[in-house]
Amino acid sequence: MAPVTDSQSGRIRSAVGGHLRRTREFVEDTEPPALAIITVMILSLLGALVGFLAVSDLTIVPFVVFLTAAGIGWFRYQEETAYVIALMMTVSTILILGLIIVFIFRESVPVIRYESATVFGITVPGLRMFIQPNWDAVSPPIRYSMVPMIHGTVMVTLIASAVAAPLGVSAALFLSEIAPSTVREVVKPGVEILAGIPSIVYGFIGFTVLGPWASTQFQTTGQGSYLFVGIVVGVMALPTVVSVAEDALSSVPESMKSGSLAMGTTDWQTMTSITLPAAFSGVSAAVLLGVGRAIGETMAATVMLRGVPRLTEPLVNVFYGQETLTSIIARNYGEADGLQMDALFVAGVILFVTVLVISIGAQYIEWRMHKRLGGEI
Amino acid sequence: MAGASETDTQLVEQETTETDAVAGVAIGLSAVLFALAVAAMFERVSLTGTIAGVQTVTLLGGLLTALGVAVIAFGVGSRFGYVETDPDPSAGLIAGFGAAVPWIVVGGAVTLQTLGLSPTVSVFGGLVVGAVAFALTVLPREDVGSTLPLGALLGLTGLVFLTGVIGPTWVWELDWAQQAAITAEFFIPVATLFTTLYGGWASAKAYGGFGARGRHMGAYVLVYLNALSIVAFLFILVAFVVVQGVPGLLNGVELGLGTGPQTTILGVSVTLPVSVPFVMNGVALFNDFQGVLPAIVGTVWLVAGAVTLAVPLGVGAAVFLTEYADRGRFTQVVEVATNGLWSTPSIVFGLFGFAFLIPRFGNGKSLLSGMITLGFMLLPLVVITSREAMLSVPDEYRDASAALGVTKWQTIRSVVLPAALPGVVTGVILGVGRIAGETAPILLTMAGGTFIPGSQTVDVIGGFQFTTSPPFVANPALLEATSALPYQLYALISAGVGASSNVGNADEFRWATALVLLMVVLSFYAIGIATRYYFRRQLKHT
Repeated sequence: MAPVTDSQSGRIRSAVGGHLRRTREFVEDTEPPALAIITVMILSLLGALVGFLAVSDLTIVPFVVFLTAAGIGWFRYQEETAYVIALMMTVSTILILGLIIVFIFRESVPVIRYESATVFGITVPGLRMFIQPNWDAVSPPIRYSMVPMIHGTVMVTLIASAVAAPLGVSAALFLSEIAPSTVREVVKPGVEILAGIPSIVYGFIGFTVLGPWASTQFQTTGQGSYLFVGIVVGVMALPTVVSVAEDALSSVPESMKSGSLAMGTTDWQTMTSITLPAAFSGVSAAVLLGVGRAIGETMAATVMLRGVPRLTEPLVNVFYGQETLTSIIARNYGEADGLQMDALFVAGVILFVTVLVISIGAQYIEWRMHKRLGGEI
Repeated sequence: MAGASETDTQLVEQETTETDAVAGVAIGLSAVLFALAVAAMFERVSLTGTIAGVQTVTLLGGLLTALGVAVIAFGVGSRFGYVETDPDPSAGLIAGFGAAVPWIVVGGAVTLQTLGLSPTVSVFGGLVVGAVAFALTVLPREDVGSTLPLGALLGLTGLVFLTGVIGPTWVWELDWAQQAAITAEFFIPVATLFTTLYGGWASAKAYGGFGARGRHMGAYVLVYLNALSIVAFLFILVAFVVVQGVPGLLNGVELGLGTGPQTTILGVSVTLPVSVPFVMNGVALFNDFQGVLPAIVGTVWLVAGAVTLAVPLGVGAAVFLTEYADRGRFTQVVEVATNGLWSTPSIVFGLFGFAFLIPRFGNGKSLLSGMITLGFMLLPLVVITSREAMLSVPDEYRDASAALGVTKWQTIRSVVLPAALPGVVTGVILGVGRIAGETAPILLTMAGGTFIPGSQTVDVIGGFQFTTSPPFVANPALLEATSALPYQLYALISAGVGASSNVGNADEFRWATALVLLMVVLSFYAIGIATRYYFRRQLKHT
């Protein structure tokens, strides 16, 4: 890596300066009427956003102003209008992520306050959700512990990863390196379709076929086991692993593979000693994203689990499936209100943060791999 | 290194020798065992019954033992020079770990179950046995290392079945607070399956004569098997839903002029020549056949709304990111945000819609909230795929257009967008397939009611009204809770059998709903994949 030439603050200052300069140039280059229309568009859209956030009936007024301004701008100054609209649309993607963060965090605040616990004389909000395993929303003491659900999610995710990671990477190797093109033309859409089968259909089959079967096989009381939820969720995460890993494997430059093959190695030796190590970070990003999918999988888990939030006894008892972070939301949103609803939002926050961290981590890994392979970032 | 000699052996070993035949038979045996294990797992083959006059378990045990003996014989024969192979000095670490894993399980289970020792001791026991297997794999020459531990595993499993130590009635009570046991019905097929995979791997290596070629062979067998299983799994899954769902779907189907319900197409009232009550009726007390029409219409409107919201936003953002913005901090943030949105769990979108949209649209579940929530889910996918499509438009196109002296926007509009259109369309269709089957987001934002009468089928176009008070436009149809296919299926499952007595055969009704949902989603995928092929062929022709 090249040594860092300028300090962080200097870089930020130059970036801000660059933006200011570009904005000034844009303002100078644009005709005044176009500029006026753009200003009206931006202001009215901001107004509509504020109105919407404030739950105002009058939101429609600034929105109509925006539409009119955009319409006029489109006919008179298409160039500038298109640019501004595209920019707004780009900003909206960030805005949506921001809104998600704000709203699910805001809703979870009351229960975090309620579940404060004192450690060494310091009151830590929300701590009690993680140091005792009781979830009881009905009879006092009312407790909203996240521990059973975190345990469930961890169990399901571990089993799912054990299924999805090896099978997915092997299928990706097959698609990108081994399969003849005719076979690939069949298997690849197959994997895509597998991604498209709705999770509720998986859940339904799991509920009607796998559940009773597993219950007799393991002589458990009632049906619903982390083991089979994990396997089903693993199959559902498989397509994600396959497609991302395949991208990573096929981004290894052909010259590296040819160089290895020219040494007289077998295809498999080239794969294990050249392609896989070169694409290793991309493949691990694929597995990470698969793990993220598995954590967030909702409907199959909801339908197949028992819906009683408690720890299994002993903790490694995979033949009983109680509740996961996702399924407790889907199952309880209906009758929940007040603190219990807020507790469901806490489950949502945990899910969201975990998966976001995984996603950003995977992107960082991929970015580094592309950089190292000298490709376009 | 070994390149030249390898080519030589390949040229020499053209004819099938007897040793090749032995390894080939071992591979064939593995295939038979694999099939038997799968059949036993799905209870197509009864463990207590007989196959060709032999007890199933005895047969499995005998075949496993034979396979194990064959594998070991091949390895040892190669070591003492009876069989001509080309082994490496060691089987390698990966093979070592591969062999250690099943032996850890065996060691742990034996110390725990057979010897009755404590779990801590059994973990230790498992690790010791695994370490021995690891050493036996890595230390000797490859031909012995990659056959002996695995062959012994096969032989042990086979003998345990053969001698009846684990018979069809074997049960291992786990003595846990929450009662569970491992039964023979589960254990025998699964153990057979996994040991057979190892056996197949070892025999494939042997067939390739060990060394680089042998490992190539062994790995390819496993990789091909995996790919085949995935495709087979997909087919079985779809076929299973179809078989289960068709009776319910075809309940009361009539074909012939004037049998179908009346509809209006382009202002002309026609009577459809076919009547499929399941997709043309709602649920009502006096219906002969109940159906899921409201859910189908709900899904259609849901998808339409989500597409209207997400496609313009997503394509616009992609245009900005690829054409206008310079690569830098801002584009990076947007990329991270879209990828983050893409992997956000669907239930979190549901919570967000519940907290953000519901209070803003009439304080109740509504179709509109569902549309917007799903639109937000679709958005990152549209951005990602549109961006990829636009990035793959060659820069020569842009340069050629710019050389004509047109503005940037004109280049985008008349060169980049048309060239990127196939990719965008394909991406959108596949994304729609994905969101059409989503249940979790609409669970919290839109859906209500298990059985919706046909009279409540949403009519969005006819629902628009103008009012005198702000917001001046109202559409009650958009602000009402409605149903969609995936939600309908969920509601049917969670309602249980008792609640669904008013639809006659509840099980048939559920499977038929699942089938209709699967058909809707898969048809999106079929259209998306077909579009991609069509455009790809067009590109090749020009």
